[in-house]
Amino acid sequence: MAEEFEPKIVAFLCKWCSSAGSDLAGVSRMEYPPNVVPITVMCSGSISPLYIFSAFNKGADGVLVSGCHPGDCHYIKGNFYARRRIALVKKLLEYIGFESKRFQMSWVSAAEGTKYTEVIKDFVKQLKPLGPQTQLRRNL
Amino acid sequence: MEKTLLKRSFPQWVKKLSSYKILAPVRDGDFWNYEVIDDSNSVDLNYLNTVLSPKKIIFPQREVFLEFSSSNEEGLEIKEVLPDEKSSVIFGVRPCDAKALTLMDKVFGDDLEDPYFLERRNSTILVGLACNTPPSPNCFCLSVGGSTHSKEGLDILLTDLGDKYFVESLTKKGDELIKLAKGTFQEPKPKDKPDAKKIQTDSEKKLKRQIKEIKKVTSELKEMFDSPFWDEESMGCISCGICTYLCPTCHCFDINDEVTSSSPLKGKRVRNWDNCQFPDFTMHSSGHNPRPDKASRLRQRILHKFQYFVEKYQSYQCTGCGRCVSKCPVGIDIIEVVNKVKDYES
Amino acid sequence: MVNLKELKKEAERILEEGKVKYIIGYERGTNGFWPTPAFIKNPEDVEKLIWDPTCVYNLTRFLVDEKRRKAKEKKPDERPVAIIVKGCDSRALIILLQEKFINREDVHVIGVSCENGGVLDEKKLARRVKGKKALKVEFGEKDKLIVTTEEGKTEIPAEEILAERCLECKANFPVIFDVFLGEKTKRQLDNPFHSLEKIESLSKEERWAFWKEQFDKCIRCYACRSVCPMCYCDECVVDTINFAVTADTPAEEKAQKIKWVEKSPVSSENFVYHLVRAIHLAGRCIDCGECERACPLDIPIRLLNKKLEKEAKELFDYEVGFDPDQPSLVSSFKDEDPEDFIK
Repeated sequence: MAEEFEPKIVAFLCKWCSSAGSDLAGVSRMEYPPNVVPITVMCSGSISPLYIFSAFNKGADGVLVSGCHPGDCHYIKGNFYARRRIALVKKLLEYIGFESKRFQMSWVSAAEGTKYTEVIKDFVKQLKPLGPQTQLRRNL
Repeated sequence: MEKTLLKRSFPQWVKKLSSYKILAPVRDGDFWNYEVIDDSNSVDLNYLNTVLSPKKIIFPQREVFLEFSSSNEEGLEIKEVLPDEKSSVIFGVRPCDAKALTLMDKVFGDDLEDPYFLERRNSTILVGLACNTPPSPNCFCLSVGGSTHSKEGLDILLTDLGDKYFVESLTKKGDELIKLAKGTFQEPKPKDKPDAKKIQTDSEKKLKRQIKEIKKVTSELKEMFDSPFWDEESMGCISCGICTYLCPTCHCFDINDEVTSSSPLKGKRVRNWDNCQFPDFTMHSSGHNPRPDKASRLRQRILHKFQYFVEKYQSYQCTGCGRCVSKCPVGIDIIEVVNKVKDYES
Repeated sequence: MVNLKELKKEAERILEEGKVKYIIGYERGTNGFWPTPAFIKNPEDVEKLIWDPTCVYNLTRFLVDEKRRKAKEKKPDERPVAIIVKGCDSRALIILLQEKFINREDVHVIGVSCENGGVLDEKKLARRVKGKKALKVEFGEKDKLIVTTEEGKTEIPAEEILAERCLECKANFPVIFDVFLGEKTKRQLDNPFHSLEKIESLSKEERWAFWKEQFDKCIRCYACRSVCPMCYCDECVVDTINFAVTADTPAEEKAQKIKWVEKSPVSSENFVYHLVRAIHLAGRCIDCGECERACPLDIPIRLLNKKLEKEAKELFDYEVGFDPDQPSLVSSFKDEDPEDFIK
């Protein structure tokens, strides 16, 4: 019997909000799929599009970028920059025919442990039928 | 062995060669490049010259040398990966590109034998096409010891006589190829060989460009290493690397380990083309770069081709294909630069 | 009509007065009708300057070289450099000024208007003259170009042989200049992003197939990067072996340098290189089309950058390369920036 495909998600989480939110989910013993590889960054605005392409290049099936809600950024403006840059990355990936469902962004605050688990659950559900990502994956 | 082959019978010859991998120039938009041919009817020798020379087939841009892996108990396991492809036939090789391969033979097959290069070189048969007219306005093969109908490096030379080809087999491999399709060829008529010879010598006269008095160039260059000539000539250069990658004789490479897994360790050691015009080509791990500017890199290119190679192998490392001149985005012209070398008074 | 005599006179004047170090312009080259960049230091050499539809190069690229050269000199000549710019080139200059890469006083801008709406596309010309060799191309009256072949002169409507990017150009005349030559003609553009329509109308699978076929051809010669005035990073993402290393850098640090992209020209690595380059040029690319012209394998690279230029306009109302005082696209934001894609 074939094993069910388990997508690998790389999640870039900002330290002050989203990463704290994911910690809250853990500490509260909330259950959510274990498919995520979390990477804590200082701010969603510090995420270079290069990291996103590199994550897909190394084999990620899905990439999530998550930051503070607009107005709540620890560095005041970082998430506003992220909003713009991620919009551009999304449009570019769509334009080259890359499956756009594989790349998502969310606002998750430090108190939103439940929201974090919902975001991950939804993401995994969307990725499972798509199968492994082969388009940008390095295959040397 | 000399034969003739009607152009319309050409696909029949190709069909008889099914035990080989067949490559030929295929049109892609506004230019041609070599591709593997599945359908014998689609080999069309009606082309000028390809953008990437046959060097790319015999000396691929990426080639795996060895694979390595380790598991805890057994230590490092290394497996050599030699090319083991089917023998190939490349149709439509211009004399300049074939001569370029003989120059690469000197580098890869002389005092140090490169098994990867030699394996592919020896299992590839080259069927050349003489140039009735120079394929490019920037061709200058005559100036560098070549010609529009040179046989160097080829196994068979075809000359276009209009409705048929004059076929000259130059090696045993060439003979084999013709024997496989004996019935498709005809014996040459008395006019055919002189016709072919006339076309070949006429085409030489059609070359528009030349390097004048090239014999003086090597000794001139010896005096010019520190000259400001290179600063002036390289002002317009953008160090893009097109000239070197498209050149049929350039062969510098870089060896890298591509690690796909670090624990357990797994990876491949590969060879990639490298380019002396890239700014970091000579970057040392200490941070020092002996060729940090465009002038030194342009100087390196010219000196390698017209001085160093001559001193070592008694041949220019240039076969006059003209690709570097035609494709340079800013019009840097090797023919001009070398012509200026002789007249330069430092 | 741009008066070439006027151009040469201005060039001669600034050199004789010693106002500039040298002039970057176009001179006749040796590869057919193509020009080659001219670096004129002496007033006598001003005669070499030309201006015709073959002057496609974006010369602002050489301002990057000039800055690097100056940085290495112990006592640099502080005079400005003069440069001949077309409309698109002047917008590249604006980006360099916007990013404070160069100072306004370091450049003396001789702006030349693109008469007849633009410059030549070699392949369109070759197809149009069907096998005959074009020896010369000149500006004609109104919207015509005059092409000289071995068989004589023909007049061709400019639209048929102008570069694709010229047909979508927003500014046929320089938007920044010290001297202006020619007339301020502007083309009526119904759709400034017309060249994107074909790809945008394809399905997702077709788009992927298209771009995969293109990037499989790529030999990573980096000509697209080398010819772009905006790709001036001392250390590019693909050349990360260039990190500054001193005698004190420990071996561990050297060994851990991040290699983002493997050198091998395989599909995945080629894609990552081109995608990263496109994103790094978002809000900075002014569509001079040099990347596509330089590519030896005819990959339509400018269509990647053009897409982001379109998104910058549609999503953020951002116009690239007209205002040297506006902030960069990715280091600014508006409260109204769309966020419908964010969960």
